[in-house]
Amino acid sequence: MSSGALLLLLAVFVPVGGAFLLPLLGRWSASARNIMAFLLVLVSLACSTRLLLTVLTGQTAVYKFPFPLGMSFILSADGLAVFMAVVSALIGAIIVLFSFDYISHYENQNEYYFMVVLFLGSMTGLVYSQNLIFLYLFWELTAFASWRLIGFYRGRKDVLRADKAFLVTFFGALAMLIGFVFIYQQTGTFDLAAMKGLALPGLVVGLILCGILSKSATLPFQTWLPDAGVAPSPVTALLHAAVLVKIGVYVFARLFLMTFVLGAFWHTAVPVIAAASALIAAGAALIETDIKRVIAYSTVSQIGFIFLGLATGSLVGVVGGLLFILMHGLAKGGLFLSAGIIEQNARTKDITRMGGLFATMPVTAAAFAGCAFSIMGIPPFGGFFSKYFVIAGAVDSGQLWLALTFVLGAVLTIIYLFRLFNLIFLGPVKGIAAREGSRLMVFCVVLLAVLSLGAGALINYPAMAVRAAVAQMNGIVK
Amino acid sequence: MNLIFLTILLPLAAGLLTLAVPGRWRGVREALLLLATLAGLVSALLFYKTTLTVNLPWVGFGLELSFRLYQFSAFIVLAVAVFSFLVALYSCWSMAGRPSAGQFFAYLLLTVAFTNGAVLADNLILFLFFGEALLLTIFGMIIIGRPGAWRTAVKAFIIVGAADLCLMFGVILTGKLAGTFAMSQINLPLGGPASLAFIFMMIGALAKSGSMPFHTWIPDAALDAPLPFMALLPAALEKLLGIYFLARLTLDLFQLRPESWLSTLLMVIGALTIVLAVMMALIQKDYKKLLSYHAISQVGYMILGIGTAVPVGIVGGLFHLLNNAMYKSCLFLSGGSVEEQAGTTDLTRLGGLFSKMPVTGACFVVAALSISGVPPFNGFFSKELVYAGALERGWTFYAAALAGSFLTAASFLKLGHAVYFGRASGQDNPVKEAAWPALLPMIVIAGGCVLFGVYNALPLHAIEPVLGARLAHSFAGGPENWWLVLATAVVIGLALANHFYGVKRSGKAAGASDHIHYAPGLAPVYDLAEKKYFDPYDLGLKLAGALAQFLYWCDRAIDWLYESLAVGLAAAFSGLLRWCHSGNLSNYAVWALAGAAAVIYYIIR
Repeated sequence: MSSGALLLLLAVFVPVGGAFLLPLLGRWSASARNIMAFLLVLVSLACSTRLLLTVLTGQTAVYKFPFPLGMSFILSADGLAVFMAVVSALIGAIIVLFSFDYISHYENQNEYYFMVVLFLGSMTGLVYSQNLIFLYLFWELTAFASWRLIGFYRGRKDVLRADKAFLVTFFGALAMLIGFVFIYQQTGTFDLAAMKGLALPGLVVGLILCGILSKSATLPFQTWLPDAGVAPSPVTALLHAAVLVKIGVYVFARLFLMTFVLGAFWHTAVPVIAAASALIAAGAALIETDIKRVIAYSTVSQIGFIFLGLATGSLVGVVGGLLFILMHGLAKGGLFLSAGIIEQNARTKDITRMGGLFATMPVTAAAFAGCAFSIMGIPPFGGFFSKYFVIAGAVDSGQLWLALTFVLGAVLTIIYLFRLFNLIFLGPVKGIAAREGSRLMVFCVVLLAVLSLGAGALINYPAMAVRAAVAQMNGIVK
Repeated sequence: MNLIFLTILLPLAAGLLTLAVPGRWRGVREALLLLATLAGLVSALLFYKTTLTVNLPWVGFGLELSFRLYQFSAFIVLAVAVFSFLVALYSCWSMAGRPSAGQFFAYLLLTVAFTNGAVLADNLILFLFFGEALLLTIFGMIIIGRPGAWRTAVKAFIIVGAADLCLMFGVILTGKLAGTFAMSQINLPLGGPASLAFIFMMIGALAKSGSMPFHTWIPDAALDAPLPFMALLPAALEKLLGIYFLARLTLDLFQLRPESWLSTLLMVIGALTIVLAVMMALIQKDYKKLLSYHAISQVGYMILGIGTAVPVGIVGGLFHLLNNAMYKSCLFLSGGSVEEQAGTTDLTRLGGLFSKMPVTGACFVVAALSISGVPPFNGFFSKELVYAGALERGWTFYAAALAGSFLTAASFLKLGHAVYFGRASGQDNPVKEAAWPALLPMIVIAGGCVLFGVYNALPLHAIEPVLGARLAHSFAGGPENWWLVLATAVVIGLALANHFYGVKRSGKAAGASDHIHYAPGLAPVYDLAEKKYFDPYDLGLKLAGALAQFLYWCDRAIDWLYESLAVGLAAAFSGLLRWCHSGNLSNYAVWALAGAAAVIYYIIR
């Protein structure tokens, strides 16, 4: 077995397999379990990072275990997959670290770490899968893990919201699976490598899009995401900001940029859906008063930007969409984790009952501001580049009105993030004058803010990875 | 190390270092600030005549690290270096002992770095990068002002940020139309999408320079932000950057012709900005707020001049840019000294300061005469050029500019009379002259106001090459049309008459404009304007709120599909099935027979 194939297997199965050991380890020692969970994710991150170096030299790595009837288990590391795997493992590792202190005084911690690591492992599996059936399997594994995690607090409302999230994404995935079956009838295989350049009928594209849009919480499937804010904050950060919602976006890129040829109709239709989603969610973010719902709506809105970038079919737009995945993951992860600290220490999620927290938690406030600036797209934060390239993609493809709609969406982004920041950190103190979180938690938040800044100031490194990814795509007008 | 990178990286590094230096190390931060700005000044002077380009690959996809140092950008960089050094010197004095001093110094240095980056950039996206990064330093400098300043900081951020997004769109569209983002290679004819691109970039440039309707944060910042901020940004650096970019837009990037409607649009914006802002300035009773409205009004002359698209107007607009930066920062600094020494900027409580602060007073008088357009100070010459340009395009623009001059002169007569002359109406505290770090910048700038007036060939010969072949002859020396000078003299005379009439009527210097303020017809309009009924920011936020309500309603409607419709359908369907399972044997027998019949039908069909 080549070293690349080994790295692929390790990246996926160390976390997926190791996750099952965590509850057992937890019975013996809580801190051993925590450190183990962190290490599992770290191993996955290290393997993917090593693969990134391979990919940057223009090579790819493949592991194949043959099964009959076109159902071979294939893991493949190309530019797109490695980029996504590194992003999700990096943010996942920081979130696991944050969880050490955040989750330490709740019940069911064994299950928590089990599910989080399982989730991250399946996510990696999904990213590297080159076979539609295994992609679907990993997809549903992430859905299962997120279902358990959203309902972590076990209240009636929590469980209902978890069910809602699961059902919406599940029915979407079911539609997608039917689409996959149609493809199988046409080609006789589930191997994506064998389908390059295939044009799909409109119905199949529509079915697959149902799955993608529901997982990425895009119109008209968006409302489960804000509702899932009942979960513990690291979970919201993990699932709903940084990693889970990116699955849909990633699969879109995998299927419609790397494999199939998308018809001209969809190059307009998907951006239009994305635009509606971006605007409606931005509006909702300006009205909501629950800190996590505001940030969740912001996620829905920003996902619209990613879809815009990926779907117009312009090279610049795809570059922007991929950069957006990284920049948004870092910054939004930071926002959700800050929200976790605030929510625990202010003992409320209602932003109209907070205020003046800058005085008592200046470090968190500064980190929050940094992440918010990145989401707004203010240079030198990384968000500037991603937002610029995404809108440039829309103009490049000749859709000026669409680009202007997203400019309006970006203006709303600035307004709602400032509304959020002002109500929490500035003005008079209305509720509890919350203190800073634990050192570890504050460190994680600051780290994400610094990474958001660093990814912008040193933009040439992410740009290098993105260049390697787009070089291998075929569905782009260059 | 390349000179261009030095100009950007040196203040950047010094700024970051200043942030890291602990506050208890006395004098270290001040030394860093002064050394870095001085080094910037020296290098800008040394390399003033140099032409230099840098092209390095960066992100790709149109975004390259390309810079260009040539006469225009070198000129602006030099101006930035001069003002930043002088304001740095001043702020060492005025920020001394404040807890936020270190932050202020750091933001000041970063502002210089970003401004230099934007001015030197030869790539439109790179320009956008540096120009938009200024949002952060502006926000930071305002928010560390007096308590509650965050409202103004957020206001400034949102207004300029929204305009920067428009600029972004314009940049993208221009790059797409031109096929390149290299500024030195773009020269598009206007019309169709190019006009759209021009308008969006123009919005960005106007917002940067603080013109109407993007101005409303400036008067708020005058009260909330630390004073050196006003002297540095709204008075000098922002205008330098915004008007520099506007000039690049009209001269290089697009072919703006005098007969085009976009040229007229620019002139209308300029004329409206002049008149409306100075109307507001006239009635102010606060030293700094009065100045802030003039900071807006004066940018109108620059936009008017550049908008004329005729050589005399463009040269006038650019010359006015330089002059305004000089006298306006001098005026703000004098206001800061008065506030520091007398403890207030309220005109009704100040008076007779000339005898107590003679140097500050003298500098104020020079700067006030300059801004009022009195010969032989620099403001006179640039205004005459703008007048000549405006008259070439239509007498209404000229009339508006002249009306603006009347009101400018009137409001400075009021300000000077109320603060430096007349009697002190408040408590009789012993006011002393400010210290030398505060006086030196004012003296230097006031000296410059005289020099650039008397020997205006010096600045004009630096500005005029920017126009290239468009320029037929130099405008240095005296005005060409003496009728215009006569009109200016009449207007200033009228302003004097108006002032003494107002003082006599109200009985006090600070009330010199009351007869205009409370004139029938004007009073209710002024009242509404003072209550911010015409603030585009507030209107915009209300509009955004209404839009958000509608969008939120859409979101709730979609959620209803899941929460009620889907749940209801599932319940109805399972209710139907439950009804079928009635436990009644005969019912089941019917179901079984019907099923059997269906199967048989399927087989024999």
